Amino acid sequence: MDNFDQELDARGLNCPLPIVRAKKAIAPMQTGQVLKIVATDPGSVKDFDAFCKQTGNELVSSSEGNGEYEFLIRKTS
Amino acid sequence: MTRRLKAPERRASILAVAKTLFADRGMHGVSVDEIARRLGVSPAVLYRHFNSKEALYEAALSEIAGQRESYVEAALNGPEDFGSVLLRMTRVYAASVARDPDYLRMEMHGMLADATAAQRFFESRWKGFTDFIEISLAEPALQGRAGQVDGRTASLLFQGMVREALYAKCILDSPRYQDMALDDLIEQLVRLFLNAIGYRTE
Repeated sequence: MDNFDQELDARGLNCPLPIVRAKKAIAPMQTGQVLKIVATDPGSVKDFDAFCKQTGNELVSSSEGNGEYEFLIRKTS
Repeated sequence: MTRRLKAPERRASILAVAKTLFADRGMHGVSVDEIARRLGVSPAVLYRHFNSKEALYEAALSEIAGQRESYVEAALNGPEDFGSVLLRMTRVYAASVARDPDYLRMEMHGMLADATAAQRFFESRWKGFTDFIEISLAEPALQGRAGQVDGRTASLLFQGMVREALYAKCILDSPRYQDMALDDLIEQLVRLFLNAIGYRTE
């Protein structure tokens, strides 16, 4: 799936900055819209899983390729 | 009768004892015989799991260097300003050090021993802090809510402050911090750092 409404480039950053930025990025979005995040920190897989569990947003997909991690998160509330 | 450990359990018990001894005296200050004695086994048992003392040291270093804390809760739960998030992150880090103070000593040995280990410690333990400080500081600095400090310098200052205080508190049991709860110490440190960089909330 490649449909998204906003994109956040978190490449080169370690937690918590990608999480802080994702929280800020998703705040003004409408319910149902999708935020795409690209990261390079291997820890981001666990971190965005935890982010979605804690915020109640939906982790639509999580994938990895060429050392980059891509997450699609749908705003649910 | 002593229960015979399975291979993964034995390996873990060797690493745990070796880590404590290496943390105390470094690789060269500990012998395989001593580790074996502490474990109540023969050196041959150690060599079944690790080819050499160097391999055992590398494994202990690697295990501790790769551990990382999750700062997701620190980032999400509470006020969002730079100072508040930094305080919550530092509390998570300090609690981890208090649980396993050997980490600080192993980090010191690792940094002195080789660049790869030093890089791993930095990536797993400090990069989250330096990214957060360097990049987040730019915003309040631009808005006049912090002094015109260099982000890299500020993050190095912060690392040094935290390391020194935790070393004194958790390793040396310094009288200066004996009566101070860890949380209070961290709060003081973070406040001191924020004052030093001229940070204020909106």
